[in-house]
Amino acid sequence: MRSTFGTGDCSLLCINSSQEAPFKHQDNPWASYITDSSSSPTQDVGCFLNMDDIDEIKVLMQDLSSKHIIPNMEQTIRILNQQVSATRKGFRNQIKNLWWRKGKEDGADSLNGPSYNFNSIESQIRVLGDYAFMLRDYELALSNYRLISTDYKIDKAWKRYAGVQKLGSLGQLNATRCGLWWIEMLKARDQYKEAATDILHSAVMLEQASYCYLLSKPSMLRKYGFHLVLSGEQYKKCDQIKHAIRTYRCALSVFKGTTWSYINDHVHFHIGQWYASLGMYDVAVKHMTEILCCSHQSKTTQELFLGDFLHIVEKTGRTFEVTKLQLPVINISTLRVIYEDHRTFGSPSSHSDTSEEVVEGQSRKIHQAYERKRGRTGWAQGMTWELLGAETHILSGFAVEALFCDTINSFNRDYGGLCANIREALWHSLEEEMLPSFSAAKTNWLELQSKLILKKHSQNVCVAGEAVKVTIEFKNPLQISIPISSVTLVCKYSASTDEVISNENESSMEKDNKVGHFRNMSSDNSSFMVSEVDFLLGGGETTMNGPRLLPWKMKINVPFGKVKMKLSDDGFGIESICTVYLTAELPVGRGARLERLVWDFWERPNCPGHIQLSATPREEGTLEIIGVRWKLSGTIVGFYNFELGLPKKNILKRRKTKDLPNEKFKFMVIKSIPKLQGSIHPLPGKAYAGDLRQLVLELRNPSEFPVKNLKMKISHPRFLIIGKQENMMSEFPACLRKKTDSVQSVIHDNPNITTGTVFLFPEGTSVQGDTPFLWPLWFRAAVPGDISLCMSIYYEIGDVSSIIKYRTLRLHYNVQVLPSLDVSFQICPFRSRLEEFLVRLDVVNKTSSESFQVCQLSSVGHQWEISLVEAPDSIFPLQSLMAGFEHECGRRFAGWVRYTILAVERRFASEVEIPVFCSLHVHGFVRGKEKGFCVRGEGFCCRLESKSRRLSTFGDDVSTSPVKSDAILVPQSIKDIVYDVNSAPLVNFHHYERLQQEVSYKGDLNTVDFVLIYRPFRSSDDPDFSTSSSVMSHHACHFSTASTGPISWLVDGPQTMHHDFSASFCEINMKMHIHNSSGGTTFVRIDTLDSDGNSGQINSVNVVQSATTDNQAGWHDIAPVNELKVASNALETQPGKALSLESASSYIWSGSSSTHLHIEAMSSVEIPLQICVFSPGTYDLSNYVLNWKLPSNGQGDSDEKRQQSGQCQGYKYYLTVLQST
Amino acid sequence: MATTACFIIVSRNDIPIYEAEVGVAAKREDAAQLHQFILHAALDIVQDLAWTTSAMYLKSVDRFNELMVSVLMLLHDSRNDDGIKSFFQEVHELYIKTLLNPLYLPGSRITSSHFDTKVRALARKYL
Repeated sequence: MRSTFGTGDCSLLCINSSQEAPFKHQDNPWASYITDSSSSPTQDVGCFLNMDDIDEIKVLMQDLSSKHIIPNMEQTIRILNQQVSATRKGFRNQIKNLWWRKGKEDGADSLNGPSYNFNSIESQIRVLGDYAFMLRDYELALSNYRLISTDYKIDKAWKRYAGVQKLGSLGQLNATRCGLWWIEMLKARDQYKEAATDILHSAVMLEQASYCYLLSKPSMLRKYGFHLVLSGEQYKKCDQIKHAIRTYRCALSVFKGTTWSYINDHVHFHIGQWYASLGMYDVAVKHMTEILCCSHQSKTTQELFLGDFLHIVEKTGRTFEVTKLQLPVINISTLRVIYEDHRTFGSPSSHSDTSEEVVEGQSRKIHQAYERKRGRTGWAQGMTWELLGAETHILSGFAVEALFCDTINSFNRDYGGLCANIREALWHSLEEEMLPSFSAAKTNWLELQSKLILKKHSQNVCVAGEAVKVTIEFKNPLQISIPISSVTLVCKYSASTDEVISNENESSMEKDNKVGHFRNMSSDNSSFMVSEVDFLLGGGETTMNGPRLLPWKMKINVPFGKVKMKLSDDGFGIESICTVYLTAELPVGRGARLERLVWDFWERPNCPGHIQLSATPREEGTLEIIGVRWKLSGTIVGFYNFELGLPKKNILKRRKTKDLPNEKFKFMVIKSIPKLQGSIHPLPGKAYAGDLRQLVLELRNPSEFPVKNLKMKISHPRFLIIGKQENMMSEFPACLRKKTDSVQSVIHDNPNITTGTVFLFPEGTSVQGDTPFLWPLWFRAAVPGDISLCMSIYYEIGDVSSIIKYRTLRLHYNVQVLPSLDVSFQICPFRSRLEEFLVRLDVVNKTSSESFQVCQLSSVGHQWEISLVEAPDSIFPLQSLMAGFEHECGRRFAGWVRYTILAVERRFASEVEIPVFCSLHVHGFVRGKEKGFCVRGEGFCCRLESKSRRLSTFGDDVSTSPVKSDAILVPQSIKDIVYDVNSAPLVNFHHYERLQQEVSYKGDLNTVDFVLIYRPFRSSDDPDFSTSSSVMSHHACHFSTASTGPISWLVDGPQTMHHDFSASFCEINMKMHIHNSSGGTTFVRIDTLDSDGNSGQINSVNVVQSATTDNQAGWHDIAPVNELKVASNALETQPGKALSLESASSYIWSGSSSTHLHIEAMSSVEIPLQICVFSPGTYDLSNYVLNWKLPSNGQGDSDEKRQQSGQCQGYKYYLTVLQST
Repeated sequence: MATTACFIIVSRNDIPIYEAEVGVAAKREDAAQLHQFILHAALDIVQDLAWTTSAMYLKSVDRFNELMVSVLMLLHDSRNDDGIKSFFQEVHELYIKTLLNPLYLPGSRITSSHFDTKVRALARKYL
């Protein structure tokens, strides 16, 4: 055998070979079954294998399997594998296989499927798989089984397919088992990470895998959560809901608090759904509430979530009460508590922000922007901030608060229609003078008691019977609308006013039964009353299509210098920049320094649902507002606890003042005291600049208690001044008219112009009962812009026992003032009279639709007299300034009629009567508004220009007092209306205008103030503007007439003279009036010059020569003798005239060449002058210079800028001297 | 262009500040949460890798079935590494610009529509 097969492949097994062995033969175990009697039962058939035999067999078999079978199998596997991979694996083979198989399918289509030969590749694969399976190479087996199973499936060889599948599943099971073993091994070796990452893909195993992630180092919590969710989903597929919930709940611990919205929604939604399917609705609802605020989801998903939630709630069969209902969203940052202690508010927009901390969330942004830029610009003039950015904000409003070193001036502007946010500081500064001061008084131990009381009441105080209002903003984040009903405040009332004790009790109790408190609150509201609101929050406003920047461009003026703010929107993208320039201009010489400049932006809420709720206490005690409760869809009751919603900073603050847990929402209710109600009517919402109106302040006191000591202060006296009681009776605007008989009384009418002081109502003023107390106010829209008028009325309460001694009523109104007329004045000296000037008035109509009639121009005070040259009819044929008129092409032009006028003369203090000289110059033109229309407009202009004319007439003497300081600019027919600018309220307004325009005031006495009075010509179509107003005024102040210095002079002499030059030269006496209009004595030196007239001489010679040649040229004409004589006469005069015209030296100043004068303040002197003329002609007597000098007596403080000395060139004065015959 | 791509910017403490589905495939209802799950889970790997390398771009860090995750959190199914890299660079630049806005608090959600359109345009360009 060995020789046949080789020694290596043969082995000998020797068993049971020895017959003689001393073994005891056992009984034949089969004996009892042998029925054949022939066989002897005693015959030994053999002996059993002994242990050695067994061992030997074992060794042999092991040898065989290890040395022969396994290598053989392995080799077979290798060969087969090679075969298989050659035919079936790889891309090319797959393609080939597919093609080949298709062709085959068509041919062989037996019932049992195709029969496979042993040699067929399928069989080979199967064999390979089997071999691999036998060798426990499950992976290989499985892959082969899979490979072949698809083949069988395609070939419809079902039996074989089943067989393969069976083996395949067996293989997989074994593989899994193997994998598990491996994992355990890895776990044992602390290689959790590897254990988890590899092969655990089975449904159940995912959970295990997740635990592996959890245990791995560093622990991979997120993977853990993810795999838990995956396994939970698998559990759900196997209907193992409890397991699914278990895994999801575990996963929840990972995802809790993250902002991965979709994950959270998914997890909560499924848990909720599964709990609901298990019938545990309470828990289901709890999870479902988490997903209600799902604005990021699509609309269908939102509907699904909300529908499921409501469905589950319905199943519970009762109204649910949830403390943290997310729908609707409450915007805690805009929450406002409005209450009235000693401050009462007359209009809704005047509420000061008592919730200062709450707004802080918004103002943080501002500070950030401010901090960012501070390093670069510093606090110099002209600070500029730029906002770079890609962020789109809906900027609906902003506030600028400027803190100067001495006081706080803040300015608020609201652009989005949100209620204006007037800061408490503004009110405070307004009321400062009125309020009795507590802090200023020196404290000693005697006052300690009162101080304690004050401290005790440092918490909010409200009055019984007066509502505490809370404005809450509800937002609906969804695209579907949600109904909300019975929104009420949750309040707690305790009768005791000793708040310290009650607080301690409550704070311990609060924590446990706060929710309980929320529940039973609705029943016991005997001691206070709460309002209830139902509304429907519309959906559909998503954040994506909302953002849009409003077009910005604005300017703000803050008292104490100017703070200009310009916001412009250049597309507002990433590259483009939204620029916010904030420039601060500081007043000169005031020493004000800008310390802080804060600006504020408010974002407009997405879906504004501002709701005002109120709670009205009826008795004294303590009222605490805990939160708000509402009902969603009629079934779910939501609560919101204000205190919990507040930012953390407050809690920190509260730790310091431990005794008051929530000051903000806690009110001490005191017994009812009188409260004034006030309103101003009819205050217009819009007005044109200059509009003057009479308003009435109406005060009412509904309570039976009296009030006393009424005071009032107004923030903008330029816009609103307080009238007098007697104004109530008089009719407007008739009361403004000048009374013909009361000139003296007007002069004596000393208006009580008191800047910034408090107006005290008369002593006996009582406001009580049903009859309202009325007081007149004057309103004048001084400058265009949005003006927020604040006024505060202080009053004391008659009942002394009350804690609140006084109250203030704050009224706040916003007025939009539109530009009306743009008026400018030009003053130039008029050289016919001393102290006489020509005033040119330019009026431009800035409105687009309104026409104005200019009525009257007056100068304020009694130093100036204004008069008009011509009758108004001829000046204003149109009678009004048209706002715009239709051009032939249909375009509308802004009318811009300009006319120039008038008048004027200074009246000497010494009442010298001087004839009035007036001149008038009217011309008009139209300027196109758009550039493209300029040419066309100019063409139009020319036509109008032709109408313009220059008129100059001498007026008659006005020698009578009174001074005519008004010029009526309207035609004679309505001339009877003359408004008196020297009486209230016009003079009061003028005073404030003067203060406002005081920028370059030099203490100059030569200034003139004008008041132009005009009125709307016809009633506007716009209903916003009430047509009742018929007087508008424009005040222009501090127009200086002294352009040449302190002196003015006039050369007075004959204009034409006849003299016989053949006899002698001509001596002409003239007078010069010099007036010193400055405040001090002025030295004046008059230098008369005899300048050389060389050029003039040459010219004149030329003229003479040309004249003679001309005449010589005309010499050809033979003329009669007498005519020739005339010609010679002309020849005689002509050269002389030409000479005198051009030559300056043809006259000489006689007398001293230099005169020194000494003119007292506000006086005039007269100096005689004399010139000598040697030939007839017209002479220009401007050849002199006036040097003036103010004495510099060390008054450095007066004004450095002011000129100390100067030189004035003489003006042209023509004198014609003729040869007398 | 990748059929599936979900882009998320994650700030500190795992807070997603910007999310966008930038793939061309029609959005499935469940896809969003699946993508979030995958990306969220991949943060573990990112956290590990961040300590080992200083590179900003970490290539493909994690995979789930057919979907791969690249860092700065993009879930995608394409293999265009260069495109993804340049996409990340551009987006990073955009993000820096956003940070310059004083009205934007670092770490808060980016709600700018402009940023959104820019990112989507970049996705169309590079992915």
